[in-house]
Amino acid sequence: MAQNQRPTSILESLGEEIVRIVAPVSICMFMVVILVSILNSSSSSSAATVSSIATIAYNESSSDSLWDKFTGALLNSLVFVAIITVATFVMVLLFYLRCVKFLKYYMGFSAFIVLGFLGGEIALFLIEDFDVPVDCFSFLVVLFNFSAVGVLAVFMSKMPILVTQGYLVLIGMLVAYWFTLLPEWTTWALLVALALYDLAAVLLPVGPLRLLVELAISRDEDIPALVYEARPVVYHESSPRDAVQTRMRVWRERNEISGNLPAVLDSVSEGNVISESSVDEIETSDSNPNSESSVVRAEEGQVLIRNSELLVPLIDIGGNVQPHGEEVSASNENLMLEGIGLGSSGAIKLGLGDFIFYSVLVGRAAMYDYMTVYACYLAIVAGLGITLMLLAIYQKALPALPVSIALGIMFYFLTRLFLEVFVVQCSLNLLMF
Amino acid sequence: MENSQNSNSNLNPNPIRIQNLVSSPIAVLWPTIDGSLGLSEEESVSYARRFYKFGFALLPFLWAVNCFYFWPVLRSRSFPRIRPYIVGSAIGFAVFMAIISSWALTFAIGGERLFGPVWDKLVMYNLADKLGLTGWS
Repeated sequence: MAQNQRPTSILESLGEEIVRIVAPVSICMFMVVILVSILNSSSSSSAATVSSIATIAYNESSSDSLWDKFTGALLNSLVFVAIITVATFVMVLLFYLRCVKFLKYYMGFSAFIVLGFLGGEIALFLIEDFDVPVDCFSFLVVLFNFSAVGVLAVFMSKMPILVTQGYLVLIGMLVAYWFTLLPEWTTWALLVALALYDLAAVLLPVGPLRLLVELAISRDEDIPALVYEARPVVYHESSPRDAVQTRMRVWRERNEISGNLPAVLDSVSEGNVISESSVDEIETSDSNPNSESSVVRAEEGQVLIRNSELLVPLIDIGGNVQPHGEEVSASNENLMLEGIGLGSSGAIKLGLGDFIFYSVLVGRAAMYDYMTVYACYLAIVAGLGITLMLLAIYQKALPALPVSIALGIMFYFLTRLFLEVFVVQCSLNLLMF
Repeated sequence: MENSQNSNSNLNPNPIRIQNLVSSPIAVLWPTIDGSLGLSEEESVSYARRFYKFGFALLPFLWAVNCFYFWPVLRSRSFPRIRPYIVGSAIGFAVFMAIISSWALTFAIGGERLFGPVWDKLVMYNLADKLGLTGWS
């Protein structure tokens, strides 16, 4: 980092943002691949497939013909998508009727079920596989602790950010592993169907997710949903003398922001003035590197102290990519399960459903071979990058599933059909690899 | 997912730790590990107290999270109101971990020699088989 003040480059700010969302997705996929490799190699290949709502229409068995499997998988995925659509519409209705408390309790309850029961089952699988001599009391205490703290992390908004993010990734991992236990054709058909559903639900004007987002925007509320929010990027002052890192934290109420903008700007234009704003926790970020002000954040107001020559601090509300100058007017969207958007603090939000289905794809690829894992992982990350780019361009909530799933599936089949043959033949003939 | 209930009515500023008012960096000590993204001091007191009390419901992990969250409080002594809860959480977590780990290690290392036939009944994988917990019901 240069010692003279230089604005952070696009690469640093944008790259940091992207890394903060790609890293947890990669961690989730990696853990699912590990789980799949450990648990599926030890048990027999004809493990009992889990019967769930996704196999309600047709339960695949290896003796069926190709066409039967295909139609069965299609039926399964249609049923599943129909159920998801109904559930989403119910959620839109509840949100419309302002039953936000009920939604929050439901969220906490589902987190408890996933962490407690699903997590417990997978832990039991691992214990049986490795013959870990743990007794039931310690196991129950640990599981209870784990799920209780997880519910609190998901429920309450004020846990350590790392803990909340970690638990969300864990929930995604557990659900994704459970989904990989579905029969193979059903899984692929399900992924395709869900990608199409995501596209429709977010972009069509009648889509439930779009309705949800518009409701949330019009009321300036956050949707109570399992959404992963990346830590907002702090724009460091490059000079080491500025000890305080100023950052922007936008609260949900945009009208408060616009109402207080003049107040803050007024206060800043005078020298050595201490002023207060009445909005909680709004800070201005000194993105102009030539300034030397520091911001001290008080309890419920804001104290701005300025020492020397100061240019008007840029109130950077769209903290995503500063050089592009994004505004907060477009950044207050978040989605229920699928979809990507900008959170109220300008950080990128990615729905947990995206985590889950990316990991399902990679987990399924892991069931075949590691070569497909690498190909699918790269495809998914590329798709995520494209989606983020589109997010920066269009500045509205976008579905994160379609591009990545399309690329992932395409690369899976291409790898399986062409690349594998090539690599195996080359290796057998000692040509390379 | 932010659901803060901060009311913007009371404007009690928490004590500002200012070292030097003129042309020097102002060091603010945040009570939480998240720094400026975390809680202010007033909220921290209530959160620390709540975590401490909830931890008594057989939740030592909550005490550990409490210590992790308010790590700056443990390091420096400038938060006299929050510190007793965090120190209490740390002690509670240490005690609980001692108890649980000693029991678990005794169970694992002692095995059948120490416990006899009860060991087979208590160990988790047998119990899971017996109750059919891994049948993906």
